[in-house]
Amino acid sequence: MLTAVKNELRVCLLSMKYNMMREMVNKVTFLTNVCFMVLNNASILVQWFILFRLREDVGGYTFREILFLWGLVAASFGLSHILFARAFSLSDLIIKGKLDSYLVQPKNVLVSVITSSTDVSAIGDFLYGVALVCACRPGVGGFFLFLLFTVTGMAVFTAFALLLGSLSFWFVRMDMLQGQMVMSAVSFATYPDGIFEGISRFLLYFIIPVGMAVWHPVHVMVSFDAGMLFTVAGYACALSAAAVAVFYRGLKRYASGNLMEARL
Amino acid sequence: MEKYRDKNGSRNQRGWRYRGGSYKPWRKYAVIYRSVLMENLQYAANVAMGFLTYFVFIFIFVKLWGYMYRMPGELIAGYTKEQMIWYVMMTEMMFFGSNAASVAGEAARDIRGGNIAYLMNRPYHYALYVLSKYSGEWSVRLPMYALLAVVLGTVMVGPLPRFRLAAVPAMAVCVVLGLTIHAVFKLCISLFSFWIEDATPFQWLYDKLILVVGVMFPVEIFPRTLQPLLKMTPIYTVCYGPAKLIVDFSPEKCLEILAAQILYLTAGFVLMNLIYRKGVKKLYVNGG
Repeated sequence: MLTAVKNELRVCLLSMKYNMMREMVNKVTFLTNVCFMVLNNASILVQWFILFRLREDVGGYTFREILFLWGLVAASFGLSHILFARAFSLSDLIIKGKLDSYLVQPKNVLVSVITSSTDVSAIGDFLYGVALVCACRPGVGGFFLFLLFTVTGMAVFTAFALLLGSLSFWFVRMDMLQGQMVMSAVSFATYPDGIFEGISRFLLYFIIPVGMAVWHPVHVMVSFDAGMLFTVAGYACALSAAAVAVFYRGLKRYASGNLMEARL
Repeated sequence: MEKYRDKNGSRNQRGWRYRGGSYKPWRKYAVIYRSVLMENLQYAANVAMGFLTYFVFIFIFVKLWGYMYRMPGELIAGYTKEQMIWYVMMTEMMFFGSNAASVAGEAARDIRGGNIAYLMNRPYHYALYVLSKYSGEWSVRLPMYALLAVVLGTVMVGPLPRFRLAAVPAMAVCVVLGLTIHAVFKLCISLFSFWIEDATPFQWLYDKLILVVGVMFPVEIFPRTLQPLLKMTPIYTVCYGPAKLIVDFSPEKCLEILAAQILYLTAGFVLMNLIYRKGVKKLYVNGG
């Protein structure tokens, strides 16, 4: 059992290594993508400077907490797109019947699929997130909490994308919905939860998993609460397990597109 | 001139054929526009699939401005809450309704992938061909998003106060000019792909500049010292101008914005032509 897990991890790491090497063939393009994504994210700070000129707090968040929020979203989203970028375009693979080349490999299908590509610009997202949180001087404990929540946030975003993408086994046109739902979740996540109330707040905590991916972690980073920490970690594990179960359940319905394809 | 004539009709100095009547160079672009328009009409349902993202953005801004305006009738930068939300709805409508990103992306892909070699030899100007396609796309998308914006705005914030129905044609002209200027500048950035392999990062920065400074906030919300500078950027003609006219119309403002748009459009076309002419000289195409 342990050897199998070790082997899967090794394949996973090798896959990421080769994805990265492929993307780094053109170094100028690679560096431009990373650097401009950092600039692109940094430009959104203008919005918050403007809003904080008008009020002392936005949705109950201070400027520092907004930086934590942005740092966590950027780092979690970035890490999920560095490691598991294909989970976010899974619908396309299923609808076009392109899973064949993964099914014939003597390795875990899901791991092979979701680690088969890397989004270079996501490195910029991740670096920006880390830099932003470091700029807030969270202390050693705060920084470790941030790293932990980056991993749980990554798990939640990836599992959410995987869950929606797997629905393509049953429904057509899920490709557009998957992209839109994930981007909607990210859009909600970049604003403080205090501006939402009533039913929308309930939906954002329990249906679209923004609350557990970002808002609760930011609250824990600001004021430590062990119970909330375990709730977030438990939720990330439960959502990931549900996403994996739905994927394998759907895989039984998969129909090949008879597409000749080689994975190099 | 004589050497270009043949039995099927006559040709102009560049060798383009026309069959009788006066030669109208814009006619081919009208045909491209019409064919893309007809194609997009077939897939109007696909456009409607994007409504969710638009709704999410508007929902967030309704909640955000609902929080920022704490007292009824309060003014921020001279805008009431309703005007501020309608401003964002209009700018987002133009952003979503134009889909300039896909057109600019297509141009970048044509250059990077070598498809440009086939397209530039055809009897049209490549950049104008792309702009004709773009116009065909937004002609379907924009009215759909405009309708959605009106419905959402009326339901979520109520009717726009002091809206002048008689000024709609002038507003429409400003919106169309704004969309065209936006596409011309995005196309200019895409044409940089002749020199660098991937111009997408530059598109991100331009889009983010438009989004943060023009789409989310009206120019008046920025510090007074920055406002004259912002009015000289494309933001004034692409987002702020048309949206400002919709939420708070005045004939003087309309003339000022139209003049700025015509100036920007002329400059944009000259720049686009210059970059294209220089860029095609850099083109290397590998056979295959």
